[in-house]
Amino acid sequence: MKKTKKLGQDNLWGYLLIAPTVIGLFILNVYPFVDTIILSFCKSGVFGGREFVGLENYAEIFGSQEFWQALWNTVYFCILTVPVGVFLALIVAILLNAKIRGKVVFRAIFFLPMVVAPAAVAMVWKWIFNSEYGIINTVFHLDAGWITDPNLVIPTVAIVAIWSAIGYDAVLLLSGIQNISKTYYEAASLDGCTKLQQFRYITLPMVSPTLFVVLIMRLMASLKVYDLIYMMVGEGNPALSKSQSLIYLFYRESFIKGDKGMGSAIVIATVVLIGIITAIQFVGQKKWVNYEV
Amino acid sequence: MNKLWKRTLAAAMAGTMVFGLSACGSSGGAEGDGNLVFMIWDSGQKSGMEAIAEAYMEEHPDVNIEVQAVGWDEYWTKLEASAKSNSMPDIFWMHSNQMYTYADAGILADCTDIVDEANYSEISVENAKGSDGKIYGVPKDKDTIALLYNKEIFDEAGVEYPTAEWTWDDMTEASQKIYDATGKYGYMAYSHDQIGYWDFVYQNGGQILSDDGTKAMYTEPATADAIKYYIGLQQNDWCPTQEDFANGGASELFFSGQGAMYYAGNWDLANLCATYPDMNGKWDVTVLPKCPDPAEGDGRAVISNSVSYATAAEGKNHDAAMEFLEFLGSEEGQRIQGESGVAIPAYNGLEDTWVQTFADQGYEVNVGSLIDQFDYSVKYVNNASRRVWEPEVEQTVLDIYAGNLTVDEGIQQMQDQVTEAIAEQQ
Repeated sequence: MKKTKKLGQDNLWGYLLIAPTVIGLFILNVYPFVDTIILSFCKSGVFGGREFVGLENYAEIFGSQEFWQALWNTVYFCILTVPVGVFLALIVAILLNAKIRGKVVFRAIFFLPMVVAPAAVAMVWKWIFNSEYGIINTVFHLDAGWITDPNLVIPTVAIVAIWSAIGYDAVLLLSGIQNISKTYYEAASLDGCTKLQQFRYITLPMVSPTLFVVLIMRLMASLKVYDLIYMMVGEGNPALSKSQSLIYLFYRESFIKGDKGMGSAIVIATVVLIGIITAIQFVGQKKWVNYEV
Repeated sequence: MNKLWKRTLAAAMAGTMVFGLSACGSSGGAEGDGNLVFMIWDSGQKSGMEAIAEAYMEEHPDVNIEVQAVGWDEYWTKLEASAKSNSMPDIFWMHSNQMYTYADAGILADCTDIVDEANYSEISVENAKGSDGKIYGVPKDKDTIALLYNKEIFDEAGVEYPTAEWTWDDMTEASQKIYDATGKYGYMAYSHDQIGYWDFVYQNGGQILSDDGTKAMYTEPATADAIKYYIGLQQNDWCPTQEDFANGGASELFFSGQGAMYYAGNWDLANLCATYPDMNGKWDVTVLPKCPDPAEGDGRAVISNSVSYATAAEGKNHDAAMEFLEFLGSEEGQRIQGESGVAIPAYNGLEDTWVQTFADQGYEVNVGSLIDQFDYSVKYVNNASRRVWEPEVEQTVLDIYAGNLTVDEGIQQMQDQVTEAIAEQQ
């Protein structure tokens, strides 16, 4: 009897201690989430006030070419950034793990883009890619409209996105690689494995849980891309319709046109998309992620 | 399994972070203690606004006014969020783009009692009205558009400077000569409504909206012809493409000596003079060229817009804010604004204060000629549903430029977009 009472008190303390986080989460995440779902079924006034309209917002976005173009832009951006970005991050992580001089400095350099404000990153790259005065076109004697040619804009933004994220992903993967026990490699080299075989049969399976986390995070971040496009492409660029992402479309509907209901519908569609892709990854991971240590 | 579930939950939580985007906002309100917050969107005008505030504070030592300048995009996000939570800045600027949205929602204080319409230019007063015809702001300024030309390039090409009698044909001929002689751009026609095709439409006798704002007029022949003409300018070798403008704006091209002419708002001129001191005396401004064969009228027109000062209908410092608003609209307040050189006061007869500043600073630009344009100014195109159609129309124009739509398809699409937005509003 006495024991259960004590347990109850412990529970109470436990709830009390997590309360700040949980309350914050409810106010800042769960409540807006639920409210956004409700709003997506409403026609909203600019300064609040809403009127239930059922599926009208969804019917309108699914019927608009702009939405499908934005969806494709976003998916295309993910196809470019996620596999290439994570692959490059893995290579960087392996290199940073090697016995080379000054690797702490290299780690800092690779991590640096993560510390810089995305807006600053975008502005600098925008000038690097400028087709009239940019350093890339000047040095390589090109005439490419990196940020104005509808076919080039998404790859350009993808390059910047990969550059920005590579250090962070590499540091996560590096921690995964460093957790692998040295004894595996010793045993493998005794058995005459090449470095490539060691990578394939030891490093890759052992780092796969971390790789999986990085993959999911990168994918979600890429599906939510907004700031880079806003800064590098922006309003008034003729290539905007061929490069705006779903979240950019959400921004325009909600804050420029002031239609919060429509904006919410776009964002809910994005969440469903993220959910589906993430679910597929969780099913797929059983085939390649190794949790046995 | 438990581990997997936790991870899924974590992933779902990460997904909800998308909503962080829609949950931001901040308040700019102050308590009723004589401290007033005055929010504006143009940092270039901050010193001018501070000068007015200081003059007011000298007479009213119990009042303290803080001027806050934020970027254009952020300004409207902030103002909207603060309007919802009734914590608006005590005084703020209201653009005619947004006037109807805010006034019609009952957010702005009625300023009829402190505005004597006779004191201000008609356009400025019209822009301070809501859909119901009541005045919801104190007229701040009025603006106009100028043709900027680079004298050095004209000299180099041996072409005579633009005059007030210039027509569109003179401008395109000069552009061609300049391009042939120097390889530099002539008139740089970038995608813009107020500083671009609207002026051409009204010069040609066309209209964007009917007089009462209830009908779209894009497909009217006079309107459609002028839009085609303006967009068609880009086909010429002497005009940069919209891709070129995305890499470097018209003003950068102009002041780096790569283009001979472009249109700019008068509100930019003082900053341009200050930014490019080396160019002083090498460029000048004049009135917009007129249409040579208008469908209606004399071929003269220029779009004129204005900003108003406003306060919330139910602000905490309502009385103090109204008093300061009255000062902002007074001759003294308007004079200080004119002397800051950035905006032409809405107050009648004070245009010269703005013109004089340029001479006082030693800027060799003939801005006085622009004042004549107020005789034939056209009020900025606006109606209650503008907020909805404006971004859509802008996108359509860009789609025409990019070749995704033909001009005819595009004009029809603009007509439909505006018609639909108006219908939805009612």
